[in-house]
Amino acid sequence: MKYMIMMFGDQASLVETRSREWIVEMIAFMTKVNEDLTAAGELVAAEGLADASQAKTVRIQNGIPVATDGPYAESKESLAGYWIIDVENEARALEFTSKIVAFTGGATEVRQVMDAPPEEYRSGDG
Amino acid sequence: MTADFAIEALLRELAPQVLGTLVRRHGQFDACEDAVQEALVAAALQWTSDGLPENPRSWLVTVASRRLVDEWRSESARRRREEAAATLEVAGAGHVPGEDDTLTLLFLCCHPSLSPPSQLALTLRAVGGLTTQEIARAFLVPEATMAQRISRAKQSIKVSGLPFALPPEPERADRLRVVLQVLYLIFNEGYTTSSGPALQRADLTTEAIRLTRLLHELAPGEGEVAGLLALMLLTEARRAARSSADGALVPLTEQRRDLWNSAQIEEGVALVTRTLGKAPVGPYQLQAAIAAVHDEAASPEDTDWPQILALYEVLEHVTPGPVVTLNRAVAVAMVDGPRAGLAVLGTLDADARMTQTHRLEAVRGHLLELAGDTAAARDSYQRAARMTASVPEQRYLTLRAARLPR
Repeated sequence: MKYMIMMFGDQASLVETRSREWIVEMIAFMTKVNEDLTAAGELVAAEGLADASQAKTVRIQNGIPVATDGPYAESKESLAGYWIIDVENEARALEFTSKIVAFTGGATEVRQVMDAPPEEYRSGDG
Repeated sequence: MTADFAIEALLRELAPQVLGTLVRRHGQFDACEDAVQEALVAAALQWTSDGLPENPRSWLVTVASRRLVDEWRSESARRRREEAAATLEVAGAGHVPGEDDTLTLLFLCCHPSLSPPSQLALTLRAVGGLTTQEIARAFLVPEATMAQRISRAKQSIKVSGLPFALPPEPERADRLRVVLQVLYLIFNEGYTTSSGPALQRADLTTEAIRLTRLLHELAPGEGEVAGLLALMLLTEARRAARSSADGALVPLTEQRRDLWNSAQIEEGVALVTRTLGKAPVGPYQLQAAIAAVHDEAASPEDTDWPQILALYEVLEHVTPGPVVTLNRAVAVAMVDGPRAGLAVLGTLDADARMTQTHRLEAVRGHLLELAGDTAAARDSYQRAARMTASVPEQRYLTLRAARLPR
């Protein structure tokens, strides 16, 4: 089962509120996390996103799509990075996410990727 | 094209036999498995251009053994000891042990100490003879991820020091159950379609059927093996009818039955008929029997629902669980009317195992619709659509809801 694990927040406030040591440690932690996922054969994708202040938002203006500068939400609510992992079950996805949250302290969302088989083909006496 | 296909089929059939031979001689499952993969790749290239060797199995054993020796030679620390051993091995290449090796491999790859994703991947590679790239593509993960998963699974087998032998008799039934589970999961994976265009994953169902058929030939007396093979065939038979040209799901009652594969139905029905009553009854045989009743009906109206209901009652007795009850509710609705089915569903409302799945609400929507309560049916379909993790199913449920009046 695949899950997307999403971290929110922005780099600007991170740099402002955390010590240099913490940031160095965080980078090492994230590198290790990805290495462990790779070694377990669970990593599908992992990306960090450029800061939300660099984002553009496209919306309809006078009936046509127009791009404007700036994030569409509070920067602390915008997506900062994500993993897609392929794991045995939801418990494993939550275990992984708990490890991240124990370090970062920021709320992190776990969503199943839509790739389950249709009902007729699901083995099941659940 | 046909020649290539024949070569591939032959290679896939020989893969576990060759691996079994090597492991029996050298005991190093890990290294042997890599060597066999390389030999398979070499064979695919060479046999296609030069034609089949006289004895394909010996050819593969010899080439794989040579790879193994090369690998050992490159490890200078081991050189002396291994070289002597390997020379001996290659000299004995003519001897090929029996088909039990394939069965032994299957049990090893489906060892309960491995996680299900590892069991699936390793079975497909070591027993199925698929390449890592093919397996990665089928599971929609990067090739490096799949390679790592397989290598880790092999490492666990190495560390655990599992013998290359059939499980002892007292464990055999439990171990066989895990093997069947893995094969059924492979089959189910074959029907997974992700977002975007329907993906080419039919190969996994074909492969699951091939491996189950192989297991059935090796263990013809096992009723549940025959049952699983029949269930797969009877399910796979409806493949062409179960989605429309645009990829939308078509429910059983609306499928064009002339698109069903009659050869697969015939084989599945014959298997069920032959097995039921002779072996101890089990969940796969019962599910296959239910699938057979559906497949034998010329039209939805001809379906023998009392028979299906009776089978679900036995199934619920053999393996009680909320999903079986859910299916029985549908059968009850077809025999005694939708309100009777809804009453059975009501018994599941308090079941915690049902809160995480869309199935309860999807079935409720269907039965409410049959009962004429379209507003409530619409709500149920919408709730179910929000809960499913299957793209085609979500579309189906959303459309179902949208076509009912508010």
